[in-house]
Amino acid sequence: MAKYRLKPTLSGCMLATAVVILVAVGPLLPASLRSLLIDIMIFSIYAMAFDILFGYSNQFSYGQATFFGLGAYGILLPVLHAGVNLWTGILIALVLCVIFGLGLGFLSVRLGGAYFVIITIIFNMVFYLLALSWTWLTGGDDGLTFTVPPATIGPLSFSLYNPVVNYYFALVFFVASYVVLRRFVASPIGKILIAIRENEERASLVGYNVFRYKLLAFVISALFTGLAGALYAIRTRYASADYFSIILSGEAIVWAIIGGSGTLIGPIIGVAIINPIIYYVGVFWRHYLIIIGLLLILVLRFSTKGIVGVVKSRLAGRRAR
Amino acid sequence: MVPLGAEFTSRFLFVLINGFVWALIVALVALGLSFIFGLMDIVNIAHGDLYMLGAVLTWYGLAATGNFWLGVILATAVVGVLGIGLERGALRPVEGMPAYTVVVTIGISYILQQVVLAVFGGSPQKMSDPFPMVIEFLGVRYPGYRILVAGVSGIALLALWFLLFKTSVGLWIRATMQDREMANAMGISVNNIYAMTFALGAALAALGGALASPIVQVFYLMSYDLLVLVFIIVIVGGLGSLKGTMVAALIICPLESVMTLFVTPTEARVISFLVMAAVLLVRPQGLFKAWR
Repeated sequence: MAKYRLKPTLSGCMLATAVVILVAVGPLLPASLRSLLIDIMIFSIYAMAFDILFGYSNQFSYGQATFFGLGAYGILLPVLHAGVNLWTGILIALVLCVIFGLGLGFLSVRLGGAYFVIITIIFNMVFYLLALSWTWLTGGDDGLTFTVPPATIGPLSFSLYNPVVNYYFALVFFVASYVVLRRFVASPIGKILIAIRENEERASLVGYNVFRYKLLAFVISALFTGLAGALYAIRTRYASADYFSIILSGEAIVWAIIGGSGTLIGPIIGVAIINPIIYYVGVFWRHYLIIIGLLLILVLRFSTKGIVGVVKSRLAGRRAR
Repeated sequence: MVPLGAEFTSRFLFVLINGFVWALIVALVALGLSFIFGLMDIVNIAHGDLYMLGAVLTWYGLAATGNFWLGVILATAVVGVLGIGLERGALRPVEGMPAYTVVVTIGISYILQQVVLAVFGGSPQKMSDPFPMVIEFLGVRYPGYRILVAGVSGIALLALWFLLFKTSVGLWIRATMQDREMANAMGISVNNIYAMTFALGAALAALGGALASPIVQVFYLMSYDLLVLVFIIVIVGGLGSLKGTMVAALIICPLESVMTLFVTPTEARVISFLVMAAVLLVRPQGLFKAWR
């Protein structure tokens, strides 16, 4: 049976090391860096969710912030109005995202290519406009704040207002999401998605129901994007119409393209490169989006595979030699 | 409020005419988008920003020359030339890969917005009416500029039709659309046709923005509101179908305009969205088939 055990791969080792370091340094970090790391971990979940959609099933969505916003309000509103506890709140957010993922996916997944891009933009904008104008529900542009209930595990109770607790809270979800999604793309269903990505017609001729698998990828992506949204609402204790902003949908694309799509780890690297730029450059130059715009254009002149893709093909080339 | 009587009729007529005027402006922008997609498979996210740039440049043109119409012509020409540069410089490497054209045009969109924000400032500007005249028609007092704009848009649309179907350039463009390699083999410079198409599409967006500038508020994020509408129109009409785009614009804009009598503009937009969803459920490829 030994040969079926997980082999210690290079990226696996690197990830394990990274997790050990992240766990160890948690309490030691300066507050601003810790807060940046929390953001990076939460947005990494969002970036991986986008990768499931674009990198693994070739569905280029420009509307994922829809689910980010739904996840954020999905936890905020029940906690605010019904006083539910943290776990129930997260569960409600996730169920909400699955329901909307199924509905919007049913409408859009059948339409491939350019139609899919455009329709995801449209539904993102419609949700954003609604969030802006239904101030009685969402607080609109000003948003709503809420008191985050403590995270209870059995008899233990941790206050998420403690930044170190919040850090570990995000870390647990980040690692769990990575492991779950890594298993998912390695599973038979993941392989079918890759087959569909590579050649949709052939996959359908082999007998797979392409629509159903693409819809599944869409819903899973919606689920994890919603999780990221809920975690971000917990972290900021706040949500506003901006959580539905199309800029946020664009960010997922930026991360995946720069880091390398179809690799799961690539988008994480994208987040880890782009967010510090925004965090540090954005403070003294508010037109930092120009840098990102130029990066997008220049990276694609060079390669469509992103940083991880380029490194991977270099390594493969060296091995072949 | 129960909308009844003569006052309601005149308000209804007013918003209906408004809807048709707006439809003609939006059709210019939407045709540019549909045209670029139909020929080059580029989903131009920056299309709304080219529209915005048209409006902003008209503002500057008016300030510099004192003549609104000169501003319109200058803005359209400048954005058209910029279109050639964008196609050559940024889009050429990713042509044929629609998903990556989205990425590049997002990049272009960010840059255009931020540059306008830095130069023009972030606050919305209202332009003075370049044709302050009121036309009375069936008891409705209607701003003359909008009628004039409808006329100019109509002429531009006719000129586009003439260019595409009655000139040799149009023939080359249509030939390239049908079969790129065959057109190339016949001696048509496909690269030049691509640059020209993108420039034409960009100029159409800028013309729309320039003509709309006295009606709407000019500012660096004005693209988003329009872009949703334009996207709904090209999806309903059938992406790449020029006839479909035209028809969809003339249905959706007046519909949305009339709806604002009863609901808020946002809810009217949601209704357009639902119309689009219904069309997609019945006809996933839009009302009309693509034009090649």
